[in-house]
Amino acid sequence: MSDQHIVRSYDADLEGLRRSLAEMGGMSERMLGDSTVALVRRDTALAQKIITADQRLDNLQREVEEKAVLTIARRQPLANDLRELISAIRIAADIERVGDLAKNIAKRAVAISGQFSPPHRAVVGLEHMSRLVQAQLKDVLDAYAASNEQKAMEVWRRDDEIDALYTSLFRELLTYMMEDPRNITFCTHLLFCAKNVERIGDHTTNIAETIHYLVTGQSMDENRPKLDTTNILVDLPAANG
Amino acid sequence: MLSTLELSPQTLDADAPVRIAVKNLDFYYGEHKALKNINLDFRDRHVTALIGPSGCGKSTLLRIFNRIYSLYPEQRATGEILLDGRNIISNNVDVNELRSRIGMVFQKPTPFPMSIYDNVAFGIRLYEKPPKSELDDRVEGALRRAALWDEVKDKLKSSGMGLSGGQQQRLCIARTIAQKPEVILFDEPTSALDPISTGKIEDLLEQLKTDFTIVIVTHNMQQAARISQYTAFMYLGEVIEFDATNTIFMNPHKKQTQDYVTGRFG
Repeated sequence: MSDQHIVRSYDADLEGLRRSLAEMGGMSERMLGDSTVALVRRDTALAQKIITADQRLDNLQREVEEKAVLTIARRQPLANDLRELISAIRIAADIERVGDLAKNIAKRAVAISGQFSPPHRAVVGLEHMSRLVQAQLKDVLDAYAASNEQKAMEVWRRDDEIDALYTSLFRELLTYMMEDPRNITFCTHLLFCAKNVERIGDHTTNIAETIHYLVTGQSMDENRPKLDTTNILVDLPAANG
Repeated sequence: MLSTLELSPQTLDADAPVRIAVKNLDFYYGEHKALKNINLDFRDRHVTALIGPSGCGKSTLLRIFNRIYSLYPEQRATGEILLDGRNIISNNVDVNELRSRIGMVFQKPTPFPMSIYDNVAFGIRLYEKPPKSELDDRVEGALRRAALWDEVKDKLKSSGMGLSGGQQQRLCIARTIAQKPEVILFDEPTSALDPISTGKIEDLLEQLKTDFTIVIVTHNMQQAARISQYTAFMYLGEVIEFDATNTIFMNPHKKQTQDYVTGRFG
């Protein structure tokens, strides 16, 4: 018995989907990296590039979805093939959201380009957090490409570090704002950027959960530890999050 | 797996009694051992699908249930098939009585060259002599249950051979259920039918399972996934995996099963 389908074009369909997803994954990684650079260096030209790139990512997502739906209709997949297609649709949606969030960071990079500049250390924390999330994103995409469930679960477990980092960054930025009200505009943008990065982290855990389903056929029921405690740091409205 | 969101036909009652229990069954075509140590439980009022590549023994297994093989002296079965606790492959079983309890529908529709009415009445008359009015009622009831009544009620006297393929198949199902069997065996009942007729038969199977224990052999994987609650995957005369249909088609445990249901069997 081989791992190839008897109908060879079926393998080509699945392979094509995986390729498109790999391309989407690569793009989203680059967008997150570039948006952070654009923010740190106040590089509006780079930020514009990211905003344009997001359109391409959206198109790719639509393409993946269409291809997957067409394959379901045409091949009536079962078992791991069906899971593969459902996973492709889910992962494409997660990657597309990662792109949106990176685009949002890029937009904020443009918005703050003319603003009063707080001490550089204000962006260092965000840069660090972004780097961690980039590594998470890369690892989870690698895990998908290799159907490596264990590696996906490692990513899933590591997300609490990012949540913890987000909480400490939140405190830090609040401090800057209290120190000097002129920092408020800039730091508020940074807060949103930090939230976007944290959200991207959440999407990597979504992808990890999808990989778990893809490989094992079981949905994850364990609750992920959450160390994002910003909602209890200050009195925020209960509707938050 | 789908605890809160069950898809309709897949709902299974794990506590349903076992209607047919196959135990250590071997079957021989002369010297050739076609079935090897089959052990399977068929649950009451559930649909169990037998899948597997051609020659894996699924039709052979089906034909043992109503002793079709008894016609051929060089074919023999050893082991047990218990229908309500009684071994139906032992020699002291009345084969005619057995066949009235276990009906069979074949791949190609097999209407008899007689009227639609007589096709259905034929099965009843074999075993009983009911008065005409009761016979009429039972013929009508069987045709209604087979979802054929509305199409043939005005031409009951015309030949069953004049019906379309799908109608003929439903006529055969009506003939089978008119005998009030406990178990109905279907050997690829829709493989010669168009999609509309296939849909009607599948719909019918769902209705029938409320009263009958159904065993179906099919080459159509999606059909097995749609209509059955249990599925056995057979290969080279053995049962490779037997489980709830959802498990077999979404998350099979054996690699051979997965390769077969996903079309990778080389």
